[in-house]
Amino acid sequence: MTAGILIPDVGPIQRASVLGRVNPLVKLGIALAWLVGMGLTLDVRPPLILTLITLIAGLQLGGIAPTALARRIAPLWLAVLGIVLANLVFSAHNPDPLATELFRMGPLRVTQEAVDAAAGLGARVLSIISVGAVFALTTDATFLIDSLVQLGRVSPRFAYGTLAAYQAVPKLADDLGTLRATRRLRGLREWHPRLIVGMLVRAIRHADQLAIAMDARGFGSGPRSTYRPVRWQPLDAVVAIAALAILVAALVVSR
Amino acid sequence: MPEGGVFRSRDADLEAIELMTTLNPAQPSAQTSPFAAWRTRDILLAAVIGVVFGVVFAIWNGIYYGLQLAKPLPDALYGMWLVPAVLAPLLIRRPGAAVFAEMVAAGVSTLFGSPWGPDTLLSGFVQGAAAELVFAMAGYQRWSLPVLSVAAIASALGAFVHDWAIYYADVATDVQLLRLALMAVSAVVFAAFGSLAIERSLGRSGVLRGRSA
Repeated sequence: MTAGILIPDVGPIQRASVLGRVNPLVKLGIALAWLVGMGLTLDVRPPLILTLITLIAGLQLGGIAPTALARRIAPLWLAVLGIVLANLVFSAHNPDPLATELFRMGPLRVTQEAVDAAAGLGARVLSIISVGAVFALTTDATFLIDSLVQLGRVSPRFAYGTLAAYQAVPKLADDLGTLRATRRLRGLREWHPRLIVGMLVRAIRHADQLAIAMDARGFGSGPRSTYRPVRWQPLDAVVAIAALAILVAALVVSR
Repeated sequence: MPEGGVFRSRDADLEAIELMTTLNPAQPSAQTSPFAAWRTRDILLAAVIGVVFGVVFAIWNGIYYGLQLAKPLPDALYGMWLVPAVLAPLLIRRPGAAVFAEMVAAGVSTLFGSPWGPDTLLSGFVQGAAAELVFAMAGYQRWSLPVLSVAAIASALGAFVHDWAIYYADVATDVQLLRLALMAVSAVVFAAFGSLAIERSLGRSGVLRGRSA
């Protein structure tokens, strides 16, 4: 793939899995509820519990191959490192004379309080990364858009317009390849900020043509019928309740 | 590219069709939401800006977390994540463009493997809504560099508050303010100047012809 972009690879196994059949809006709701819940604590245990449960659920209930999950998460460790370092080195606790000093490195004083907070925030990022990876690897974009329209009352014109634009991603990747090849041919270096203009020119042409094609078929001109009806299922309620119970349990355990 | 250039004939077609759709508006008339006035063309343009920048974000995420050891200096790159919130309204000039394009970009970036997962959607909403507020206060009428800069800084401010709460809860205030300064400068460079430069280039390419903006 161009530039090593990870095109989300949601195959038939993931789509047919338990997490693949749960409504994407439920998964999004869980992700946000967990995010808010993790915002309530700096304890390292609750986010680690959620991370572990998320990863196991992704493998067992989401049908994600362990290698695919590992590949997805591996580069994101750097994000954890960045957040841990920022909170460790620049902690508001470090200059506090009352805080417990752990060690000094030149002008840098690191305190126990800073280590605790940095560990908690690092674990928080880890839980966010895991939830994001499992969400992306089990969620079909079309299912998400259908649910947004039919259950989330998002305007169908905007939702399906977005889906149409999203489906142009492989075409955009091809365009990027062409533009880079053209630059190479002209003896220029392949990567340059101006590539974005070329990409946008091709993308806007494509958008205009799509819009004409969609208008010509009466897109958004009246009440629409649904080709893929989406309804709330018992599974959605079960998963939502289980996820909330897990969140509460994780927060209680840390007390 | 010569003015008019190779794209002329197709542009003429586009304008003719645009005229027909204007005479026969395709919008549901009962709606009063700010989105009711959007033509299909506008929706697709905002969505495609979101998708292109969602892909750019995925690359940018890699650069940003590759530089994490130099914290907080990588925040000078932050402005790239705010470009759709300024570029889309600049090109479309309709209420809601900032929020919509930024949310699409955030969603695409989430599916493509952002380290921030679904939190990216929250960030995207905050960043888009902050810029939207500034454009609304300017009545969606003024699109000068100062207005774009204020919108970009507002967007950076929204992102800053969100990040402080979620990711930098323990960081000392002076470093927080340094982050804010870096993010604000970066927002003006990438989102305000960058969007204007992109708009000019797109204008020269002829691809924006036939738009009211």
